[in-house]
Amino acid sequence: MRKADRIYGVIGLGLALWCYLESSRLDYMTEFTPGPGFMPFWVGVVLAVLSFYLIIDSFVRKSGKKDETKLLPEKHALYRVSAIMGMLFAVTFSMKFLGFPLTLALFTTAILLLLEHYSVLKSVGYGIAYSAVTWFVFEYVLSMGFPKGFLGI
Amino acid sequence: MDVITNLMGGFATCLTPYNLWMAVLGAFLGTMVGILPGLGPSATMAIILPITFGMDATPAMIMLCALYYGAMYGGSTTSILVNVPGEASSVVTAIEGHQLARQGKAGTALGLSAIGSFFAGIMGTIGLAFTASTLAEFSLKFGPAEMFSLVLMGMFTIIYVGGKDVTKSLMSMAIGLGLGTVGTDIVQGKERFTYGISELLDGIDFVILVMGTFGISEVLESAEEFMKIVPMKVKFWDLFPSWKDTWYCRWAILRGTCVGFFICCVPGSGPTIASFLSYGVEKSVSKYPERFGTGVMEGVAGPESSNNAAVSGAMVPMFALGIPGSGATAVLLGGLILYGLKPGPMLFVENADFVWAVMASMFIGNCILIVMNLPLVPVFASLLRIPYGLIYPAILIICIVGAYAVATGLFEVGMMLIFAICGYFMKKGDVPAAPMLMALLMGPMMERSLYQALNLSHGSMLVFIQRPISATLLSIIVLMSLYVGIRSLRGKKAAIEEAEE
Repeated sequence: MRKADRIYGVIGLGLALWCYLESSRLDYMTEFTPGPGFMPFWVGVVLAVLSFYLIIDSFVRKSGKKDETKLLPEKHALYRVSAIMGMLFAVTFSMKFLGFPLTLALFTTAILLLLEHYSVLKSVGYGIAYSAVTWFVFEYVLSMGFPKGFLGI
Repeated sequence: MDVITNLMGGFATCLTPYNLWMAVLGAFLGTMVGILPGLGPSATMAIILPITFGMDATPAMIMLCALYYGAMYGGSTTSILVNVPGEASSVVTAIEGHQLARQGKAGTALGLSAIGSFFAGIMGTIGLAFTASTLAEFSLKFGPAEMFSLVLMGMFTIIYVGGKDVTKSLMSMAIGLGLGTVGTDIVQGKERFTYGISELLDGIDFVILVMGTFGISEVLESAEEFMKIVPMKVKFWDLFPSWKDTWYCRWAILRGTCVGFFICCVPGSGPTIASFLSYGVEKSVSKYPERFGTGVMEGVAGPESSNNAAVSGAMVPMFALGIPGSGATAVLLGGLILYGLKPGPMLFVENADFVWAVMASMFIGNCILIVMNLPLVPVFASLLRIPYGLIYPAILIICIVGAYAVATGLFEVGMMLIFAICGYFMKKGDVPAAPMLMALLMGPMMERSLYQALNLSHGSMLVFIQRPISATLLSIIVLMSLYVGIRSLRGKKAAIEEAEE
């Protein structure tokens, strides 16, 4: 956790700098009241102080039980999490071209087949079922206007 | 008497077939969420929130509230039958409840927890009706200076009372405040952190943040491992505790109810803290504390009553002041804003029908839940046989649909995924997401109050200490900060001395 705290501290300092830079191009005060730059400026200051404290504390504190916890999970867990996130991003990028039902069917099939080790038949079956139910409820009944792909649905 | 009259009006509003159906649906979903490990009530409410966009505020809020307290009922089932808590506030139930189940008294434990939860739910709702209306009446005196101090105090209380690591909680809050500044500024109408992206002009939607950091990140954490659960089997007739057992636990149920309700009226202390506190109270007042851990009935009845009363307690600051007391009430508060209502004391004036209908629905919801959680427990427990691998793709699909529904665009879906990654690593690094969420909700309110207060005082900061209520609230913040600071310094000094020895 010490290492993680240092990483969080550095990220916090980066965010603080970002807030400061944004606030510097906006008015800090108007005649009586705080201007648009007031809040980002103070958010930046508070974040910088806290991040700095987190970094210093990670160097000086006595190693405790919580320092044994790791930031990243075990290799297989990291693989599963990365794969799910990768598929979710793929859904976001491909929905415009493939359309809503096809993307969701492929997404579910891929998760069940690659991560949950279901058979091809079961994965495809569940994929089609999940996609059909979602499409029926949200597109057919609620008319949410999801992107239509090359299939026209 | 006003409260009773208003509550009767609330019953008249909520006793329509549609509202009753929403209460049943919420109670059912809540029980399921409570039973199934891997998804808490906050995450589920966050996921369901966008789907309720098209609904009226009253049925939508009836459903979300029923889901919240329904999860408290359901959580005990998994704790007792599998020794895996369905949600955080049932962790402590597993200690005694599972031991009782191993001794062949699973039915007694489940029955006591359902009866305790029912009693606490009803008493908590009565407490909520009386306390929230009185507090709201008092807070009508609040001007912008008081509102600013109140929001600030709410945020600090949440961090000091509920946060594990104060520095990280404060960082989370600061990031939330920063996220709240994204979009068009209220003073000059200038753009902040938008960089020409039109989707950011209205700011970061609360739903996107909450679905990412609570919903998807929770699913990711649960999906790290293959989850396989085999629950114990319970016969229908074994589900009802004997009258002797129930009578024996009466004081534990009453103590749990009082601890849960009053502790959770303070922002920051959610049902989890309440249930642990109640367990501690039961152990300390017991004539045989050494038996705790081996299957003691009061150890189930007290905490289970406590976490249900805590739900009503946490709703007191939410309804009366517009300050969320926990992550779950922050989601409910976000819901109020999304439905076009103005949270805070004026809610009791401008939307009295809505408030009293929701409160009345909590009585009905608790009656529905006692039926679901006594005779129907074996049915719900069988849900645990559905592999998690089949459940989480469905949850992720609902998240995608929900994020898309916010602005009918894929930009919001992408933003939710980025927040999901942040939320996942925040969980890994013990950085709580709840203060960030609350700061995003309350940051713009705080900025507006600051702007209004300084405008009225012609720029004088003294307005915050010249007005008695504001000064009192700020003094509480200073005292709390001093206490936390001194405690932290003492802890560090002791650690250094220990290291030197």
